[in-house]
Amino acid sequence: MARVGVFICHCGSNIASVIDVEEVARAAGELPGVVHAVTNKYACSINGQEAMKQAITDHKLDRLVIASCTPRMHESTFRKMLTQTSVNPYMLEIANIREQCSWVHKDKEKATAKAIDLVRMSLAKVLKNQPLFTSTIPVHKKCLVVGGGIAGIQAALDVAEAGYEVTLLERESSLGGKMVMLDKTFPTLDCSACISTPKMAEAGAHPKIKLMTSCEIAAVTGYIGNFQVTIRQNPRYVNHDICTGCGFCEEKCPTKLKSEFDQGLGMRKAIYKLFPQAVPAKPVIDAEHCKKLTTGKCGVCAKLCPLACIDYEDKESFVTDTFGAIILATGYQLIDWPGSYPEYGQNADLISGLQFERLVNASGPTEGHIQRPSDGKEPKSVVIVKCVGSRDPAKAKAYCSRACCMYAAKHAHQILEKIEGAQVYIFYIDVRTPGKGYEEFYDKTRADGAVYIRGRVSKIYEEGGKLICKGEDSLIGKQVKVEADLVILETAMEPSPGSKETAALAGVSTDNDGWLNEAHPKLRPVETQTAGVFLCGTAQGPKDIPDTVAQASAAAAKVLGLLAKDNLETSPMISAVDTVKCCGCGFCEKVCPVKAITMVEIPGVYNGKRVTRGVAQVNSGLCTGCGTCAAACRTGCIDLLGFTNKQLLEEVDALWQI
Amino acid sequence: MNEIESNLRQRARSLLAEGKISCFIGWGPTRFPDRALPKFIFKPEEAEQLVYNEHCLNLLAKYTLAFQYSNEVIGLAARGCEARAINRLIADGSLKRDNLYLVGIHCEGMKENGSPAEKCQYCCHRDPVIYDELLGEPAGGPENLPRFAEVEELENMDADARYEYWQGQFAKCIRCYACRNICPACNCLECYTEQYRTGWQGKQANTLENSLFGFTRAYHIGDRCIECGECERACPMDISLMKLNRKLVKDVQELFGGAEAGLSAEDIHALGSYRKEDLEEFM
Repeated sequence: MARVGVFICHCGSNIASVIDVEEVARAAGELPGVVHAVTNKYACSINGQEAMKQAITDHKLDRLVIASCTPRMHESTFRKMLTQTSVNPYMLEIANIREQCSWVHKDKEKATAKAIDLVRMSLAKVLKNQPLFTSTIPVHKKCLVVGGGIAGIQAALDVAEAGYEVTLLERESSLGGKMVMLDKTFPTLDCSACISTPKMAEAGAHPKIKLMTSCEIAAVTGYIGNFQVTIRQNPRYVNHDICTGCGFCEEKCPTKLKSEFDQGLGMRKAIYKLFPQAVPAKPVIDAEHCKKLTTGKCGVCAKLCPLACIDYEDKESFVTDTFGAIILATGYQLIDWPGSYPEYGQNADLISGLQFERLVNASGPTEGHIQRPSDGKEPKSVVIVKCVGSRDPAKAKAYCSRACCMYAAKHAHQILEKIEGAQVYIFYIDVRTPGKGYEEFYDKTRADGAVYIRGRVSKIYEEGGKLICKGEDSLIGKQVKVEADLVILETAMEPSPGSKETAALAGVSTDNDGWLNEAHPKLRPVETQTAGVFLCGTAQGPKDIPDTVAQASAAAAKVLGLLAKDNLETSPMISAVDTVKCCGCGFCEKVCPVKAITMVEIPGVYNGKRVTRGVAQVNSGLCTGCGTCAAACRTGCIDLLGFTNKQLLEEVDALWQI
Repeated sequence: MNEIESNLRQRARSLLAEGKISCFIGWGPTRFPDRALPKFIFKPEEAEQLVYNEHCLNLLAKYTLAFQYSNEVIGLAARGCEARAINRLIADGSLKRDNLYLVGIHCEGMKENGSPAEKCQYCCHRDPVIYDELLGEPAGGPENLPRFAEVEELENMDADARYEYWQGQFAKCIRCYACRNICPACNCLECYTEQYRTGWQGKQANTLENSLFGFTRAYHIGDRCIECGECERACPMDISLMKLNRKLVKDVQELFGGAEAGLSAEDIHALGSYRKEDLEEFM
């Protein structure tokens, strides 16, 4: 016979001011199965917990109902308390009489009656509870970081510095991402390359970091502590084991192409390093444009290479490795603005912010001289348009891209500094500068002479060798026309291509805009819904470099917390399959959002014959206990432990039994 | 049709004689001239007992489940409905394609009591969608039949009238489970209705419990129903089960799109799959 203890918490006056807790305790005491029912001022306090522990001993309780706040708040507290007693931590039900009762009702009498109902329901459920036990899974002490931008580099370095092995994966042929393309970083104006390339080099040379460039994730199986990740090594056509990066091949390659790194403003060869400071500092062949690979005629690089590194036969290959944790740092790209803003036209002197970064960069195609791409002349009048694609749900994205206000100010500052007598006009909706030293930087830019015009640009067209920007100055309520030699569009960020697919492989969902979803926007910002998979940087949403680096270190800290453990305790509140009834239809496998269910063959008897048949098996390391499979199972052979159909039915039925 | 019959016999005989299959499932005669029933042929010489005529009403696919989990290869005469039902069973993990040998045949629709069978009325798949060999040539069939006309009629009724209608239908139910037993989408080892005290489905044959059974059955197959019409044909109480099934089929198509059920063995069931990019406009 069950011996239930019921504890009604006052929660100071939070509950007791609305609910007659003594009456609830009295009513609960009369219910079958209850041997002890009392109130407590603060059940969660040390005193409250001690009183409950004492009651368990004194009254030989074997299960508890605690009527208090939401289980999200203190269920884990009370479970922890029960581990110090003879009662199994899962022989506990919380009746939420605060959020779902005292906080939302005023009528004392009715609220008290409702609280009694809630206690009665929890009692009905706890009578059907079964003891549950946690199990442990070992942790593979190695971390995979996906994305070699500043976020990925920082996270990899932090984890490696703590002494754990890290594999740093990058799709491009070099580490660096977007930060290394930038000229200077706001608000301190330190050189972006000077602060990011040493980090790249450090990551590339770190004894604990295995660098894998030109690589992508092909498949992820397993679970927290034990992810099996298949990595696709895309062909490089250059044997990086031998190559010293001497650069002869690049020098002599006859094919010239627009450089992606220079945003189309500079040139590169078909065999190329992404940029001079690339890590690894070794070239790859662009198979789409290499003459040898497309037409079979050429082979200059192979002839010149002193170490015979060139391998035109290179194929993609796959490697599988085991990792305890995964960090997704897949980054962003800028939107394709011509698609969303045809009214801005197409003009060589109409460039994106990232193109301007290359233009003003000392290692860029113009060696840092600001020149119009069309004729190489120094622009005297420059228009900067902010929020191109951001905060514009009708045409592109509803969200604010966060970094643009600051880099627009930085661009204005750089132009005013480098070009004597230059005029800079900035069209803006708002100026958002939350950050250390940000507002001061913006003030300085205005003091330098940048003219801020509040309004959007509706049209850009060419007239007499000038770009005319037509827009509204909404502060004076008039149409304005600004003549410009150069127009810079500060375009919106969007998730990098393929990030959604990569996230899906790791069991991470994305929001409507394609940004990776964190587990909780405030309290679990670098975790994801899949245990063991973390995120950082712009993969999660637009942000600037300081925030990205901070988040990368946060993700690394979470990974370290995980890798420091030898074993992980898994929640026992997971799905359980009754294999006798399971027909092996596999619906549960298809609906499982975390891929926790696999079909296995087991021996059985069918029509009087020994057979093997497929049944579902739940991986306790992966299962999050969401219950989707239990709902999908037509046979009803899956139950969610801790929330079995029987428990829930008893709970609901209790509501009708007065 | 007689040509198909003789071909079927000949193919069954040689497949059994060659040892390619251990059983052939077709139709056999009964003592009534206007009725044929499923026939299991185990020996080549028994192949002469097979018939094929306009009275072959039974859907054969589900009978293959007698050999579920065995590694024997089973031969089967497969019309459009059988082929789609086989796809259903493969997609549901009940059968392995390698354990089946499908002899495809074209079907012009069957007759019941002298008139065209109700269940064949809206059939747009008269040729099998999968087969190992096809007897004769695919001959196509009608397209875009108004199979949702009756559903739309129901949808146009007001809620109370609809409620009355279905209460009337399920008041008739005797809970014989013939609809379930014959349905190729009902392929659980143990149906929830057979389970001792599910806690929510009573076994009593009264309108309340019958309705709960009827709707649960419809939901269990709603996204996978191949519209073979066997449930309605098997129902001894003439309950309009296909109206209910087609309502769900229609809803699923309107909400999720996608192909008709059973056209491929890699069927994706709208209610039995999880994709992150699923639209949730209806929520």
